[in-house]
Amino acid sequence: MSDAIVQTALLRRLGARLELRMLALALIVFVGLSLASPFFLKSNNLLNLLDQSVVTGIVSVGMTFVILTGGIDLSVGSVLGFTAVLMGLTMPQYGIPAGIAVAVLSGAGIGLFSGFLVARFGLASFVVTLGVMAIGRSLAYICSGQNSISDIPPQINDLVYTPILGVPSNVATLLVLYVLAFLYLSFTKGGRTIYAIGSNPEAARTAGLGVLAYSILPYVVSGALSAVAGVLLSAQILSIDPLAGTALELDAIAAVVIGGASLAGGRGSIIGTLIGVLIMVMIRNGLNLLGVSPFWQGSAIGGIIIAAVLVERLVSTRVRA
Amino acid sequence: MADPAPHLPAAPEPLLRAQGIEKTFDRTRALAGAALDVAAGEVHGLLGANGAGKSTLSRVISGHLRRDRGTLTWRGRPLDAGRPREAIAAGIVMVMQETSLAPDLSVLENIFLPELARPGRLRLGTLRGRAQAILESLGQADALPLSAEVRLLSAAQRQLVEIAKALAVDAALIIFDEPTASLSPGEVERLFDVIARLRGAGHALVFVSHRLEEVFAITDRVTVMREGRTVAAAVPTATLTQADIVRLMVGQDLGRIFAARPAPASSGAPVLELHHLRAAPLVRDVSFALHGGEILGLGGLVGAGRSETLEAIFGLRPPDGGEIRLDGRPFAPRRPAAAIRAGIGFVPEDRRRQSIVPDFSVRENLLLGHLSARRGAGLGYRSQAARISQLLRHLDLPEERLLDANMLNFSGGMQQKIIIARWLLLDPRVLLLDEPTKGVDIGTRSAIYAMLREVADRGTAVLVVSSDFEELLGLCGRIVVMSDGMSIATTASAVLDEAKLTLLAAPRSSMAGTTALLRELAQETGGTAFWALRDEGRVFCLQRAGGEGAADPGFGPGATPRFEETRIAAALASPAAGFVAEPDGVLRTLLVRVAGHRGHELGWIGLTVAAGDPPPAGAIAARIHDRFVRSI
Repeated sequence: MSDAIVQTALLRRLGARLELRMLALALIVFVGLSLASPFFLKSNNLLNLLDQSVVTGIVSVGMTFVILTGGIDLSVGSVLGFTAVLMGLTMPQYGIPAGIAVAVLSGAGIGLFSGFLVARFGLASFVVTLGVMAIGRSLAYICSGQNSISDIPPQINDLVYTPILGVPSNVATLLVLYVLAFLYLSFTKGGRTIYAIGSNPEAARTAGLGVLAYSILPYVVSGALSAVAGVLLSAQILSIDPLAGTALELDAIAAVVIGGASLAGGRGSIIGTLIGVLIMVMIRNGLNLLGVSPFWQGSAIGGIIIAAVLVERLVSTRVRA
Repeated sequence: MADPAPHLPAAPEPLLRAQGIEKTFDRTRALAGAALDVAAGEVHGLLGANGAGKSTLSRVISGHLRRDRGTLTWRGRPLDAGRPREAIAAGIVMVMQETSLAPDLSVLENIFLPELARPGRLRLGTLRGRAQAILESLGQADALPLSAEVRLLSAAQRQLVEIAKALAVDAALIIFDEPTASLSPGEVERLFDVIARLRGAGHALVFVSHRLEEVFAITDRVTVMREGRTVAAAVPTATLTQADIVRLMVGQDLGRIFAARPAPASSGAPVLELHHLRAAPLVRDVSFALHGGEILGLGGLVGAGRSETLEAIFGLRPPDGGEIRLDGRPFAPRRPAAAIRAGIGFVPEDRRRQSIVPDFSVRENLLLGHLSARRGAGLGYRSQAARISQLLRHLDLPEERLLDANMLNFSGGMQQKIIIARWLLLDPRVLLLDEPTKGVDIGTRSAIYAMLREVADRGTAVLVVSSDFEELLGLCGRIVVMSDGMSIATTASAVLDEAKLTLLAAPRSSMAGTTALLRELAQETGGTAFWALRDEGRVFCLQRAGGEGAADPGFGPGATPRFEETRIAAALASPAAGFVAEPDGVLRTLLVRVAGHRGHELGWIGLTVAAGDPPPAGAIAARIHDRFVRSI
């Protein structure tokens, strides 16, 4: 093979690095917003930005796992709400650690339920998680008695704002989760199996990979992380609303897709998802700073999602050709 | 043969003329200057080895693919069919292997599926009448229940639906793509009748195949392709011999592809044994033994349960009964990972669907078997780097292509080498391969054969499933023939040829008529009736009835003994018009030569009786002739 071919292959590989393309997009948004609003670059706004990323960011990690297998998890928002309510009910009597454990374990349990139905019986993940989404929200209402729970121990607030190496602990949690997820997906057998299942489940099966277990795992991760996000959200606002997390699944799916993942599975990366989350949060934040009506923000975000995916499709087909 | 035109009395005006057709997929050049001339009222054979471009050319002509370059002329005018609908409107239809039928619709709805694209109301009554007329014109009025759902039909019936569908749109040119691949010999005969009628009615027919006997039986002219090019255009079939065609298809003599005659099976304890393995629904009773260092073939027709047998060995399909033994110990893998750890590798039939992970690099695709064999959470890719380089050098694969992002850009042969290498990386004890050269060009095929032979020489037991009987015969030392889910014969390939293999592999269900005939003969005479082939001092028994008593000829179905190893050696050696007695005077045998009604030689029906007055030979022979033709 001649040098020229190797070189173009290298160039193509660099161009094909979707994270790089998405990072460029994030930078453009960042620079654009800095120019448009004098408040955007203020340090307290930047911290605010990270703070606002935590809930969507953590949920998007689980969503990335699920989408990589070719599935989707619509239940993340209502799982967040329901598990937060469970935590709120447990905590006054049994303490903070018990409350958190109940929330995370029940989130994982719900994920196990959805994942089992999807992987074992071949049901469409869209339908299963749609059902779980409705059930979760209804149970959240029932368990909370339709009211916000506000008698949670105020010490839980430390979970969010204790600085770790100068970073608020909720942001630190977010970053640690992204690093762990990145390492898992890139360097372990389970992570590569998740990619292989999404790319070609039949080939994964005939190569002897553990298709059933690793088709279920992403839903468990997604359920558990939704609960973690719920814990941090409740700790932040010291109140638990049964409506918490409504429409969160849309933001998470949007972040993963902007991050370059294919909804057909097999393609995507956790770094891309992080960039997708940041783009989403920056745009929301910037529109607020610019005083755009909240009613227009939905249109803006929706338009940007479609544009990002369209541009990505056009670019990636060119790179491949 | 340089200029075929003088052989033709009057060169018929071509109905379709394709010239200089080119087509490239990704980086694979499927067609590089293909040409085809077809005239009305002829059956035109389109021949070539796997990957020669026959199917691609057919799909270009029938509008399923758009050509990159070249011209198509239809009835003297340029044709630019970019979609099947346009080709159908012009009168060109391709009969495919059941892919273009809607399984949940009825036969009638399928025949008139193209009508759905026309405006106006559907009149079912009129359509039903037209369908009947079409089937009658094919001489198959009773063969198809019009209201049955297509998924309930046999492969042969579905093909008939496809043909009727073509006639429903007044097709002038019908392309048959490997139409006999999953048919029994009797069904092939019936198909040939239909094709002959269509030719008689003035249709032009293209018959795509690589089975040479069939080409000689049915075609008027042939066009031969090799590596995307037409190497012989519209040559009258009568002017060619089989050897000519093989040379044209392959570009060299066959002996050179299958480098050396395979060594006979090594003795010693078998590595893998199957004892009456059952796995519903397709594997019903499979037994064979596989030795280290041998290449064993598993032959049969599509649907005989061969692939499913491999899947059961590999833990992809739970067995319902019988036993698998590995190194003499019972072995029941519940998941592929268990089979892999026990030292079994599996190369499935459909690379794209079952082997390749498209979003993985070539390197990671290569390491997929390693990944599932590995215990522990890490990848352990780095520990394999040295072995991979060594393996790649050995396989003649450039190492820098490991970095290539997309394996689908490789040629079929290259992909297959990588998938095989995926398992070689694990030093398997047993390597299972399903159609290892499907979609692989002829040049790479010989490389894959050499690779498999080397793997076997290093002591691995290799089991190959192939529908290409020529490949099985050239590659394997022994062949297990499967039919209807049962292993019916295990034979050294040296004593077999394609014709015998085809008859041995015929589905037993299509032999019901023959079985009934044999049973009647056996019962009436108290002897043994059998259907067998004789060749070069050997008998190949296809079917047998009776013979539990004294009149045992000494062989059963699937057996291929030499004449002198049977109890009726004298009769087999010199068949006569009447019963032939053995020298010891115990057994008398009548052998009647049988043929299909188009003149295909189909072996002998034998009747062996114990001492006593033999029944009237003439009457029995007449009855066999009469009944056999109808039964097959």
